[in-house]
Amino acid sequence: MDWLFFFEVSLAGLGFGALYALTAVAFVVIYKATRVINLAMGEMLMLGAYMFFGFAAALALPIWAALILALVGGALLGLILERLVIRPMLGESPISVFMVTIGLSSVFIGLVEIIWTAAPRSLPSFLPSDPIFIGDAFVAPKTFWSFVIAAVVIAVFLVLFRFWRGGVALRATASDQGAAYGMGINVPMVYSLAWGVAGLLAAGAGVLLGSIAGISSEMGFFGLTVLVVVIVGGLDSVLGALLAGLLIGWVESLAGVYLGGEYEHLVTFMILMVVLLLRPWGLFGTREIERL
Amino acid sequence: MRIGSPKETYAADESLFRTRTQWVWFGILLLSLALYPFVANLYWLFLACLICINIISATGLNILTGYTGQVSLGQAAFMGVGAYTVAWLDNNATTPFILNLLAAGVMTTLVGLVAGLPSLRVKGLYLAIATIAASFILQFVFINWESVTRGTRGINIQPPQLFGMEFDNPDTFYWLVVPVTVLMVILAANLFRTRVGRAFIAVRDRDISASVLGINLPLYKLMSFAIASFYAGIAGGFYAYFFGSINPESFPLLMSIFFLAAIIVGGLGTILGSILGAVFMTLTPELLRYGVDVLEPFVQDASALLSPVRTLVFGLLIVGFLLFEPHGLAEIWRRVRRFFHLWPFRN
Amino acid sequence: MTMRNRTSELFLGVASGLLLGLMTAGSAIADDPEEAEVGVEADVEDAIVIGGSIPMTGVFAFAGLQFNDGFRDFVQWINEEHGGVQGRKFRYVGQDTGYDPDQSVGVFRRITSREDVHFYFGDSTAFSQTINSALNRQDILMTGASFASELNNPEEYPLQFLLGPDYSEQVGVLLEYIANEDPGARVAFVYSDTEFGRDPINASVERAEDLGLTVAETIVTPPGAADISSAALEHRRARPDYTIFHGYILSPIPDFIERSRQMGMETRFMGTYYTMDQGIIDEMGDAADGFMGVMPYRYYYDEEADDYPIMRTIREMNDEYRATTYIQAWLVGMLLKEIVNATLEAGDELTGTNMRRALDSLEDIDTGGVIGVPVTFRGNSIPVGRIYRADVEAGRMVPVSDWIDLTEE
Repeated sequence: MDWLFFFEVSLAGLGFGALYALTAVAFVVIYKATRVINLAMGEMLMLGAYMFFGFAAALALPIWAALILALVGGALLGLILERLVIRPMLGESPISVFMVTIGLSSVFIGLVEIIWTAAPRSLPSFLPSDPIFIGDAFVAPKTFWSFVIAAVVIAVFLVLFRFWRGGVALRATASDQGAAYGMGINVPMVYSLAWGVAGLLAAGAGVLLGSIAGISSEMGFFGLTVLVVVIVGGLDSVLGALLAGLLIGWVESLAGVYLGGEYEHLVTFMILMVVLLLRPWGLFGTREIERL
Repeated sequence: MRIGSPKETYAADESLFRTRTQWVWFGILLLSLALYPFVANLYWLFLACLICINIISATGLNILTGYTGQVSLGQAAFMGVGAYTVAWLDNNATTPFILNLLAAGVMTTLVGLVAGLPSLRVKGLYLAIATIAASFILQFVFINWESVTRGTRGINIQPPQLFGMEFDNPDTFYWLVVPVTVLMVILAANLFRTRVGRAFIAVRDRDISASVLGINLPLYKLMSFAIASFYAGIAGGFYAYFFGSINPESFPLLMSIFFLAAIIVGGLGTILGSILGAVFMTLTPELLRYGVDVLEPFVQDASALLSPVRTLVFGLLIVGFLLFEPHGLAEIWRRVRRFFHLWPFRN
Repeated sequence: MTMRNRTSELFLGVASGLLLGLMTAGSAIADDPEEAEVGVEADVEDAIVIGGSIPMTGVFAFAGLQFNDGFRDFVQWINEEHGGVQGRKFRYVGQDTGYDPDQSVGVFRRITSREDVHFYFGDSTAFSQTINSALNRQDILMTGASFASELNNPEEYPLQFLLGPDYSEQVGVLLEYIANEDPGARVAFVYSDTEFGRDPINASVERAEDLGLTVAETIVTPPGAADISSAALEHRRARPDYTIFHGYILSPIPDFIERSRQMGMETRFMGTYYTMDQGIIDEMGDAADGFMGVMPYRYYYDEEADDYPIMRTIREMNDEYRATTYIQAWLVGMLLKEIVNATLEAGDELTGTNMRRALDSLEDIDTGGVIGVPVTFRGNSIPVGRIYRADVEAGRMVPVSDWIDLTEE
């Protein structure tokens, strides 16, 4: 066993897992606040990446401006979706809302292909490209920097989630909507907030993902793996999302090298099946979410 | 105008066709199905066959999703199981066409039962997610079980033969697929006159109450899965015969979404809905083709917009119907019918 | 509530309008809409009709649009400059498929139900396989965008042929070149887990070993893979002298190359036909320098292009660079011209079988310079190719070998 190689592969997996974790957090925020399983998450991420592409490449704005605009755009997208599509579905069965998000993902793919065509593109590179070594182990600079950025964003988010007024309101709404409402929390506002924040996180994750792997109208597939991540971690657990994100990234990476690339998705979905059979509420989720 | 149709027995009340008019309409439908091949060209016959295959599959999915309340995103993958069963039998055995098709149904039922196992443990959304996982796992099997599926190279299927005739073209294939479709649809409609079908509806509406009423939840959920899979298997078998060649990429997740969209647009929990939805969704691309041709003089490269617009419209249809017309085309149809029933006294 | 009702009514209106539209569309069975039609009108009795399932949208649109232009220009050229072949003019009818095999079949049915099609062009391997029985039944000769080894089998696919070496042969040309330049070199294959990607791998591993090369590793990447870090690490561990990509158009090749360079690897990268277009230079920039690959046709800017009639015609009709897929469509035209000519000379009808017989009887077909050597069909493919290298400074592909003909062994 080549331990250095194993270590390198693990680092690569964990590095990419940070992106899963970041997107999974967005997923969980939406679920906690509005009880919606958003299957269009991957496509929201894709739209964020394409917005960045549009601002940076087509309009030739500086990278930082394009990034800010893409993030704002992502947040706006979340807000609009919540207001236009999700709120009218309040009180409908979760299954209907779930199917609505499936429809949304199709809408987004169509939009991207109409505006930018289906041809894959590369994002202007903005991450440093000097090789990075941890001990003797090589880490691809893209992987390393996207990990760092994702980690910082998640940390900022966790702090806000814990201490900021909006974050507290979000948590309160998540734990007991009625009580939160009674305490004077503007629950509809919290819904909007959750979707806005999730949209922002997704756009950020999209830009990172795009700068690693390029963008295409099929990149929303990433969202399905994230779905696995949140189920494994527990739909309503931020901690679960973080840990499961890293875990799935790691496992996929190992499977890719030691079993072969064709096993990557198989292993992910096998894990999902096992979790669904043995512990449907996930590693860290609360038990009643199973009763969907 | 019809005033009412009094019934004297429960059997009469439960029957599929309650009035003579309905029988007449049904007769007209059958007649026009029989006459269609004599007026349509090969292309429209091709579409008709495709619609029939989609109707079978959508009906199956509607039994599971619309009637039993279990969302499945694995319908396409299950069709794949049926298609590969037919393909394998066609290449390795000399069994007749009908038997192959039945085998496809049975095989898919078995696979569906296994894939439906999580439904014992989880329900609703979790189940939908489990079926996504199941379709990826099946996809993997299609690609990697080379001795049976020939892997990514794909596998060819000879056209079906019956009574010494070869059904190798849409004009002949039509006579094979239409009767089976009619049969499958009638079977599905009849299902909901039986205890099993009623139990499905009870499970959907409130599973706890259903179990209080003595309905064995796991059993009926699995049964629903099995029936839906059987329909998918038959549809997949036809698909294999119809296209004459399949490969693992023939049954993508997108196709499952297509069927889900079809039953949402058509109407969840109605047989008519499955039919309307499948017809509508299969013909929508055709309609868009016309739309694009109208746009052609005004918009540059309008034809290059066709497939993204199709994706967009599929999505909009799903979202739009769920938001504004959750009962789908079937409900619109009912409203139109009611209008004419009561016309001119109420409008 | 009232609000919701109103929107609901509105939606109902729109939906029923759509439905109504569908019904009218359905009832208008006979008159189909217009589409990409070039050449003589449909009512010209003896026109030679080329039908096509063309991927003008979707992931393969970059090629489909070029095919479409290529056929259009060829048909225009042959009708105007030569008055067709033996007085019979050409007509091209192509429709978009979105690169979806089911749609492709639909388009085939649609076109053949209305036109007396003599020759067809398909867009994918899956389509070529699916439509095979229909071709035999309707007796139509076909070629297409696929170079799948599977199709290179005249017994199974009697009415189809490929427009160059099949994928195994393409990799074969590369291996032949490596074995000549660098005997005993270590070769790695990186391919996508798709029909396209897997196609040549098994055969190529064998061929590499026959040629005395060492297969360092075969690495498969999942389709649409976002992250190739682990594959890149695996690749480094294998330490190949040459790395052959197959089953990709572009992504993730740039990422792969970038990572390998960062890890200080010296391997030389190679690709097959669909990666070898100008795009690799335009999209990748400096990282593309030195990228090599096999190409069965001449590039638009080939130094000798003006010495050959068809390449010259292409350059005269187009002031700017045209992709190799555009030239591919011209090759179809040139082959078809010869086939039709030979069939009519023999006094035969233009059926698929007769045209196929004509194709097999032709020796040393002159493609007007599109392919550098005269073409003779052995089986379903043209196992000829040339190695090119990306020269980023010059902004073009430059040949580094002569035409390699695999049949000469």
